[in-house]
Amino acid sequence: MPKSMGAVKQAIPAAIGGEPDVAMASSGTAKQKSTRKILPVVEGIVLVAALLAPLLLQDYLTVFATRVIILALFALSFDLVWGYAGIMSFGQALFFGSAGYGVALLARDLDITNIFLVLPAGTLIGLTFALLLGGFLLLGRHPSSVIFVSLGTLTGSYAADRLARGWYYLGGQNGIPSIAPMSLGSYEFTEGPAFYYLVLGILVVVYLLCRFLVRSQFGLALAGLRENEQRIAFFGYKAQHLKAIIFAIGGAVAGMAGSLYAFHEGFVWPNMVGVVVSTQVVLYVLFGGSGTLIGAVIGAVIVEGVSFWLSDNYRDIWPIILGVLLLLVILFRPLGLISFVLGERERVGSFGAKPKENVKENVKEDVKEKRNAP
Amino acid sequence: MANAFVAAFEILSFGAIIVLIVLGLGIIASMMGIFNFAQGEFVLLGAYITYLAYAKGLPIWAGMVAAPFVVGALGFVLEALIIRRFYAAPIVAMLGTYALGLIIRESVRGLIGGFYLTVPEPIGGSIDIGAMHISAWRFTIIIITLLVMAGCYLLLSRTNFGLRMRATLENPSLARASGISTPLMYGATFAFGSALAGLAGALIVPVFSLYADLGLRFLIQGFVAVMVGGVGSFIGPVAGAGVIGTLSAALPWIMAPVVADVLVFVLAIAFIKFRPQGLIAGKGV
Repeated sequence: MPKSMGAVKQAIPAAIGGEPDVAMASSGTAKQKSTRKILPVVEGIVLVAALLAPLLLQDYLTVFATRVIILALFALSFDLVWGYAGIMSFGQALFFGSAGYGVALLARDLDITNIFLVLPAGTLIGLTFALLLGGFLLLGRHPSSVIFVSLGTLTGSYAADRLARGWYYLGGQNGIPSIAPMSLGSYEFTEGPAFYYLVLGILVVVYLLCRFLVRSQFGLALAGLRENEQRIAFFGYKAQHLKAIIFAIGGAVAGMAGSLYAFHEGFVWPNMVGVVVSTQVVLYVLFGGSGTLIGAVIGAVIVEGVSFWLSDNYRDIWPIILGVLLLLVILFRPLGLISFVLGERERVGSFGAKPKENVKENVKEDVKEKRNAP
Repeated sequence: MANAFVAAFEILSFGAIIVLIVLGLGIIASMMGIFNFAQGEFVLLGAYITYLAYAKGLPIWAGMVAAPFVVGALGFVLEALIIRRFYAAPIVAMLGTYALGLIIRESVRGLIGGFYLTVPEPIGGSIDIGAMHISAWRFTIIIITLLVMAGCYLLLSRTNFGLRMRATLENPSLARASGISTPLMYGATFAFGSALAGLAGALIVPVFSLYADLGLRFLIQGFVAVMVGGVGSFIGPVAGAGVIGTLSAALPWIMAPVVADVLVFVLAIAFIKFRPQGLIAGKGV
């Protein structure tokens, strides 16, 4: 992967090595002050655009925008797993779709549609499936190869697709149609601005949580894992456990997105767990830029938006254009569209709490004293 | 008795089809370390070329002979233009070849629409052995598969070309120092793998008919077969393909097809988990 992230490789010893590196970290923050502005601006623009969208769009477009926001949430889950931990999950739709099926069954068979029950249930389903699959694929005596994990997740998703198609209880080819709307007391969430803002709110909360997560010490360990797994293992981290944890978190986010998607569309069908949706989410993240959370969101919005806009006139050739664009991005812009505005240093960012000024001063003085001493 | 024989023949012929499809995938994966996601689409292209020949009124045989050459040439060009950039990074290679496959698949979909187009068997009818009838074409596929397998093996193990190919793939810098043009060898290997996929597509199109997702159907089975067999050798993926093909064809006879489908994948992944090197470990032919 051409994500040369020398900065992180330097930052890893900085977190563990102790004194001499603190000075380096402080020079890092000094640099950030001058460059570290673009990301919050991009996030702000996206948020404002998302908040205003329903006011400017016609009703049917608001429904479409809601779907895009849900897919952006889904893209976020894949970005956590691939962009931050370097686990290629080609079967992310497995968690998305199984949660969708789960809440659809809850609504169909048990009449449970309360938002405070179905959303946690969907999240839990995604989490459980991700724990099971991720635990099986990632944990064990020998670390699994990247190829094995990606093919394993792909196969899992494909097998789930076949199972959903053939299992009568899950509706077979047709899936489960006409799911009752999600409810809060007597209020029912139907397509429209209310649903849109609900989903947007969830996206913002999840986004902020993810942002906190990837900028924490845990996120630093993940970045190290992505860049050089062996080194992280030598530092004493349990690399496999870290991977399994982030995989499970990704699965939980995907599950939440899947349950929202099921209620928004009103039906679930086998494609939702299958390879098509799994690769679609890979597309979003690669387009937008993996390794930045906002890149995943932007990618989902752009891919879905352009495909919606083009599909009226160019329905037949749109998938071909999409393929060509994807190939161009992989070849020439491996960091995605976001890399046009976002520098490398800012993409990597800094981790954990910022070192306090006075601590740095003390350390510098310490170092000076030590130098002067002999 | 007759039933058992028919079942055995079905299993054998499906196994042969999977072996045929996996051959090219396995050669590219083993020799170049690239999991080519576009391989399914090379199969599709082979099938499409055969269909084109049939639709234009040419003999189907002509299409089947042309398919491996056309697809092989395309593979050579694609390797030189695109695949070459991916050698250092296997995951990027997966994504890049996936994008390539998407382009090919959607182009073919645009050309044929969402239809299932049938191509007649060049050798029709059935072979009768007593009271049992087996499809002559499926029998031909088994024979051709055996011949292609033997041919590939001989090519890789006995010829000068095969030696240079293996040398390049095992130790590129030493091969270069010995005067072998490694970029040419990479291109040739990829073209060879694609040509095999084209041949597979051409041969199976009378059995499965032509539709845009034809290649995708076999891609995942093919990958699983390669992993089960073991990446790195020629014989490993073939063995894996035999196992996966036989299981996929045999299990539906003794249990519900849905369960059998999923069970094959679960068993395969579990097997790879506990034996990552595959059935046959080791490098070479």
